[in-house]
Amino acid sequence: MTDPTPTTEQASAIRFRRNLVRVMSVQVIALIVLWLVQRHFSI
Amino acid sequence: MHPLNWAVVIVWLSYVAIDGLRRARGTKHIEGYFLASRNLPWWAVGLSVMATQLSAVTMIGTTGQGAVDGMRFVQFYFGLPIAMLILGVTIVPFLHGAKVFTAYEFLERRFDAKTRSLTAFLFLLSRGMSCGTILAAPAVVFSAVFGWPLPWCVAFMGIPTVLYTMIGGVQAVTWADVKQMALIVVAIISIVIVLLVRIPVSPGAALHIAGAAGRMRTFDFSFSLTNTYTFWSGIIGGTFLMLSYFGTDQSQVQRYLTARSVNEARSSLLISAYWKIPLQAMILLIGVLVFVFYTFQAPPLLFNPAHERDVRAAEPAAFASLESRYGAALTERRAAANEIARVTDSEDGTEASAASAFRVRDSVVTSVRAEALKLAERATGKQSKDVNYIIPRFVLEQLPLGLAGLFIAGVMAAAMSAIAAELNSLATATVIDFYRRWVKPEASDLHFLNVSKGATAFWGLFACVVATQAATLGSLIEVVNRFGSFFYGSILGVFILAMIPRSRAFGAFVGLICGMAAVAAVNFGAPQIAFLWHNVVGVVTVVVVGTLLSAMSGKHANTGPATHVPRTE
Repeated sequence: MTDPTPTTEQASAIRFRRNLVRVMSVQVIALIVLWLVQRHFSI
Repeated sequence: MHPLNWAVVIVWLSYVAIDGLRRARGTKHIEGYFLASRNLPWWAVGLSVMATQLSAVTMIGTTGQGAVDGMRFVQFYFGLPIAMLILGVTIVPFLHGAKVFTAYEFLERRFDAKTRSLTAFLFLLSRGMSCGTILAAPAVVFSAVFGWPLPWCVAFMGIPTVLYTMIGGVQAVTWADVKQMALIVVAIISIVIVLLVRIPVSPGAALHIAGAAGRMRTFDFSFSLTNTYTFWSGIIGGTFLMLSYFGTDQSQVQRYLTARSVNEARSSLLISAYWKIPLQAMILLIGVLVFVFYTFQAPPLLFNPAHERDVRAAEPAAFASLESRYGAALTERRAAANEIARVTDSEDGTEASAASAFRVRDSVVTSVRAEALKLAERATGKQSKDVNYIIPRFVLEQLPLGLAGLFIAGVMAAAMSAIAAELNSLATATVIDFYRRWVKPEASDLHFLNVSKGATAFWGLFACVVATQAATLGSLIEVVNRFGSFFYGSILGVFILAMIPRSRAFGAFVGLICGMAAVAAVNFGAPQIAFLWHNVVGVVTVVVVGTLLSAMSGKHANTGPATHVPRTE
């Protein structure tokens, strides 16, 4: 096993930040959609 | 089931088992067996963690819950993204950086051997039993639906899983999980499409009918300690539960320890949360749509075919009378549903009164079914878990040819991926935290590899035995699961203490015991408090007691990491 080089480590740090933004965006969008669905369809 | 559906199931199981065995080649070292030489890509680890959490209970039980209770269960997962964020900056760098095999190994470095052994023992006890229940849940349902003996159903899923987990280790488990996850997603999407096609009203009208029955209510903002599924219990209690599960449970920790670096481990953890809320909402939506489907097509009075047979034989007159009332109630409910569809599509503004009429009709149907369930319990002497049979019955009777096989394979895939990860983590904790720590600290890698395979086979056998005895062990399993909830939050408390520089081994050990005692006191003293709050009680007690005792015993206690622990690098 070899330790990741600084370049790959930097790339994975960038990937982590990008994933963080994506994951949180998906959760927020999911909650908004669920809220709108509840408001629209609950009679 | 049609032979073509069986062919789909058998081809899939064979493919997963054979591919798992093929990937076993080259696994000759213990680090490769347990941690895939810490060299798996982040996306595969993330998908694997996601597959591990989607058990057969999710595919059968959660969809059934959606049919009878609607969408509100999804609030249970609201704490997950928050927990992932906290873990990404706290426990993940600690554990990955420590280069440990197990989360409990880290506790010995930070505190002492008894804290490590106690937490590892609690993990083995609860996970060993839960592995059996994960296998038992679909096996019991398949046994009732197909009329097979329970041990056959257990063996059908258990043997291939034990084989590829035992021979291939975590590498085989992870790559099998990636395929299983793909199958599960395809099965879920296919069923939603089929339901939308088969329901005889527009999708909008279908959701209005579900909304009229209260099935579309996702958010409940009431602050109630006794209501399990509210927004606040999901956000607060759910966050602590997810922190405990993903941060301290070896079955999850081991997955991100396989990643190449800390950032890759964090990414894999995030990916496992990526689609959690949308996916769970989709799974619940299947149940909601099945409810709507059965407002237009008469559902069986009892979904469990074995119970239906038994009750019909034991109490024919009472059952026939209930069936007659049920038929009449269904006809009236269908008329009310059609009225909602008509006013929804024509938008003439009388939705509220149509919904109110539907609710009255639906409550009659629900009360007749409740009477039938009581009759079934009286006739069979067993607790009725009819909700678990709604989806299997729908799948086998209503889905087109081939798709039913795909769903059954998906349920089996979910069970197998959940069990495989747990078997691997049980073997890891057995070998690393007990065998290598207490029995044989020095031996060749090949020796530990063989012991690990033996441990996997042992836990696989243990899970199969527990699963086949599920009916008779029912109360015992419940006791163990309840016992498990006593220490989940408490173990998280110990890991939080591990990150506080001034905490000491004595404080951590006594704090752990006090945390479990506090949760037990809440559980028995105030049983009405929802279980999600138990984790909060456990964490807070351990951290407060542990910090106080550490401050009091400061100068005399063990303050640093143990130096005699075998390093794993």
